[in-house]
Amino acid sequence: MAKNIRKTITAIILGILTVISIFPFWLMFSMSTYKSEMIFQNNPILPSDYFLENLKTIFASNFVQSYGNSLFVSILSMVIGVLVCSMVGYGMYAYKFRFKKQLNIFIMMTMMVPNQIGIIGYMIEMRNLGVNNTLWPLIFTWFANGFGTYWMISFVKQAVPMELIESARIDGANELRIFGSIVVPCIRPGIVTLCLLLFLWSWNNYMLPLVFINKQDNYTIPIFVKSLASAFRTDYGAQLAGLTLATIPLLIIFIIGSKSLIKGLTAGAVKG
Amino acid sequence: MKNTRLSKYAGFWPTIFIAPFCIFFFVFNLYPILYSVYMSFLDWNGYSEKKFIGIENYVNIFTKDTTFWSSLFNTVKIGLLGFPISIILGLIFASLLSRVVRGRRFLQTSNFLPYITTPVAIGMMFTFLFEQHIGMVNRLITALGGEAVNFIGSKFWAPIVIAFMIIWKDTGYFIVMYLAGITSIPEDIYEAAEIDGASKVQTFFHITVPLLKNVTVFLVITSMIYAFQLFDEPNLLFTNQSSSTVGGPGQSCLTMVWNFYNQAFGPNPRMGYASALSCMLFLIIVAVSLVGMKVMNKEED
Repeated sequence: MAKNIRKTITAIILGILTVISIFPFWLMFSMSTYKSEMIFQNNPILPSDYFLENLKTIFASNFVQSYGNSLFVSILSMVIGVLVCSMVGYGMYAYKFRFKKQLNIFIMMTMMVPNQIGIIGYMIEMRNLGVNNTLWPLIFTWFANGFGTYWMISFVKQAVPMELIESARIDGANELRIFGSIVVPCIRPGIVTLCLLLFLWSWNNYMLPLVFINKQDNYTIPIFVKSLASAFRTDYGAQLAGLTLATIPLLIIFIIGSKSLIKGLTAGAVKG
Repeated sequence: MKNTRLSKYAGFWPTIFIAPFCIFFFVFNLYPILYSVYMSFLDWNGYSEKKFIGIENYVNIFTKDTTFWSSLFNTVKIGLLGFPISIILGLIFASLLSRVVRGRRFLQTSNFLPYITTPVAIGMMFTFLFEQHIGMVNRLITALGGEAVNFIGSKFWAPIVIAFMIIWKDTGYFIVMYLAGITSIPEDIYEAAEIDGASKVQTFFHITVPLLKNVTVFLVITSMIYAFQLFDEPNLLFTNQSSSTVGGPGQSCLTMVWNFYNQAFGPNPRMGYASALSCMLFLIIVAVSLVGMKVMNKEED
């Protein structure tokens, strides 16, 4: 009896939490189905019928290109970032070398250093490299991610048995092959988790594009959405429609990857 | 024997695996920071002649610049209003959620939704919710007979709204991290506690909380680092306002990074001075993390 009451209370608390979590999210979708001027005259909790019109508005401007830019930036950042982190993870685990201890401390410290701190130097560096009007500055910054590296090192330590590597070496396997066919399968949940996080962080990145992007061809989604606001009229409906569409890839990868996410986090930094 | 075998792998391969990180880190992270340190000794607006002025920028920060100190105060205040609550809620909800069997995956995913929402969207939604005349919260208040509150325009309420954004957004992340930690606690510890007649609340305080200490340390330190970088939420809460003021009402929401951003990329760029601000921010983050690690590790003994 007491157990049932407790269960009910737990369910109610979790239910309320879930509603609070979803509500603004739902509101975003629901408001995107209104004409901008109508949003505040109604209570936009239930969807209206203007969604397609809002879509027309954003597709008429350069939404598709911005979306493509965001995808390009996020996918490339994710792939290279995860590869670099995994390689360090393996390198720090499977080899002994001089200054390894110092390097380990150094990597821990990189986690404390937010990229924003060097953003002025970064901007001037990119200007000198001649890429300041391209998408590359938004990508380079994820190549050596402090958190990802620190986290991958502890993940590899947990997930890859040293004996497996040793015996493969005795069998004469090349180190790159060991990495590709033994280590990578062992750390798959870690790779999935880090992929999700890096994709998410670069997709949602706001400050860097704000600093670097100054022409329409290079807009990413956050900047595109901001550009829909002008001095004359801010088309909230269209903005929200764009944001709703921008959330779709994140939703998809998180629903697919949510199982690996918990597994990956369990084995990774959490214990390390 | 073992050593000789290892030494065969000691030169070439570790370099192959570790070099990319080191090179990328140096080129894209470390070098820009060092360059910023160099620039912090300059008087430069981005295009004029660079002028070396020694530590004058730092002297100004300490003697003349009240904005720097109020931005430090605002950042700490908003961080303290937001993150502790968020972390505690994350812990509580994770431990409740860990006992749920049916629908757990759904609850997990839906509570993680805020964390994956684009900051631009969060800024807009919270503007819509808390706006004085048309915001939903105020409509609710007036419908219940209360008086509308100017949440976003008030020095008192605006930082609280931002703290609320943080709580709304990050609690899901903390839940997931704690859930991951709870999953790694062996089930038989809980069974033993139950046999010994411990109540759920006792189990929570005497087993769950202590065993999750590593997670807590990790989350507290990373969220302190994160708190000092706060920019997106306050900046986006006020961009949709017609009077787009820097820092919100009375600059009560001007965080350190926003102040830095405004000095560097605002209407009157002061690259040298902004670099000095970012170096101060860096020093503060390092100091806070080191102190944090020390305090958290001391409690262990």
